[in-house]
Amino acid sequence: MMIIIAPGAVALIAAILAAAISIVDKVVNNYGEVELDINDGKKKIKLDGGESLLSSLAGQEIFVPSACGGRGTCGACKCQVTSDVGPYLPTETPFMTKENLADNIRLACQVKIKSDISIKIPDELFNIKKYDSIVKSIVDVTHDIKEVTFDLQGEEINFEAGKYVQLVVPPHGKIKGSTQRAYSMASKPGEKDIVRLLIRLVPGGIATTWVHTELKEGDRVELVGPFGDFFRTPTDTTMVCVAGGSGMAPFMSILFDMLDTGELDREVWYFFGARTVKDMFYLDELRELEKKMPNFHFVPALSEPEEGTPWDGATGLITDVLDKYLKEEIGTDKKREGYLCGSPGMINACNNVFTANKVSLDDIFYDKF
Amino acid sequence: MKMTPAMTMAQENMQPGVITEEGFLGDETIPVVDMIARDEGEMRDAGLSFVDTAKRLAYFMEEGQKGLGEPVTIDDKWLIRVVDPRGQLPCPFKDGFFHKMTAQITRKETNESVVVTDLSIHLLREHHFIEGKGSRFRLEPQVMKRVLFD
Ligand code: FES
Ligand SMILES: [Zn+2]
Repeated sequence: MMIIIAPGAVALIAAILAAAISIVDKVVNNYGEVELDINDGKKKIKLDGGESLLSSLAGQEIFVPSACGGRGTCGACKCQVTSDVGPYLPTETPFMTKENLADNIRLACQVKIKSDISIKIPDELFNIKKYDSIVKSIVDVTHDIKEVTFDLQGEEINFEAGKYVQLVVPPHGKIKGSTQRAYSMASKPGEKDIVRLLIRLVPGGIATTWVHTELKEGDRVELVGPFGDFFRTPTDTTMVCVAGGSGMAPFMSILFDMLDTGELDREVWYFFGARTVKDMFYLDELRELEKKMPNFHFVPALSEPEEGTPWDGATGLITDVLDKYLKEEIGTDKKREGYLCGSPGMINACNNVFTANKVSLDDIFYDKF
Repeated sequence: MKMTPAMTMAQENMQPGVITEEGFLGDETIPVVDMIARDEGEMRDAGLSFVDTAKRLAYFMEEGQKGLGEPVTIDDKWLIRVVDPRGQLPCPFKDGFFHKMTAQITRKETNESVVVTDLSIHLLREHHFIEGKGSRFRLEPQVMKRVLFD
């Protein structure tokens, strides 16, 4: 007799088997209580083995960045493990540089805690909190960018301008699990009771589609943060900032924080690229800022200005505009720092322009998310 | 058609929650081999070859990167926006890893778009797999024919 099994049934059987294996693994491989040592004994936690390092830490309210739901596809959850946890998994190696391998950096979501384990994480991660927020307002700043403000409901967030939070996107529609995505804060450190993000629609993007089509004022949303190493140096070195699209966010925070804290004299150049006038935003706010900060220069540039739409700013690809200004306006004789917010491709292209204009790679700052 | 062990593994990896939250199968439950056979027919009906379509998509992906995250007009007719979130996805057939780079290719005169990723170009070229109907990244042959070619 031939047995034909429908593929739906195959998938179901596979799912049942996977669940059964995981239950058997929990029962048979009862790892018992294990000790998690963080930063050479700074914190020692007893917990039940068997979970991933990422979820075990989250269970202790220690939040490592993560943007793929622990599936090993974002590489955000890198973490140094100083005890032996077995060889790298094939899911981990594509994310590891030579230095990472030498330092035994692992993906926290792929490392399963089976016995006592020691790890090292940056001290800042102890300050990261989960915030239960309510959407206060949603404003369209362009046809594909929304400015979303979250009320932290009496809680406060302490951060340096330039840092980011992770937005927790709940299960919805066909999406069965919750996912997290990183967004730089556009709000200022002085505004402790809110978080403001700029969210641009990404084609096919789960999180941004959810924000653009489903999120409403009054909704409850979890935020985790603040994360990141992107903030201005405490010097008076000339700052050259470059962004496009939602990369505007950290610079709104940094520039308006400078205004609030009275850092009015530092020389700052801000290059913002968009394609057409309809992709430009916050022009009035930044022009106002130029009046209040005498050494702040805002250079908005359009890469494909449309005929018939008036535009009196710069035109061209943002890297060409940056190159021209570095040579002709800012000058190469003084020390300058580069601040970037954008995709890896944009960061590479800007790095090339900066280094060609004698800005050292050590003086160029950006977040890797 | 018969599912080989490699196809069975791929079909499991394509389920929601394995490699991506939504998976690759959309609303479909038929075996991947049957989807591929049907879609080879749909590509033929649309007059598209897998090799040329993959080349065309890769061309747009590469040109679109010149916009550095902003949309850029290519050959006067197409507006391409490439978004490059950090991270990589394994192919469900386990023969490589691909950046999560995504391109939205819009034909300006009709405003119709195709959304493609590095992984979906690979799946189309190497496995003749264009994702299940109802998937966010399904590459519909008739739509590709209208949007991508002169
Ligand atoms: S959470 Fe994405 S790779 Fe670990
Ligand atoms: Zn493959």
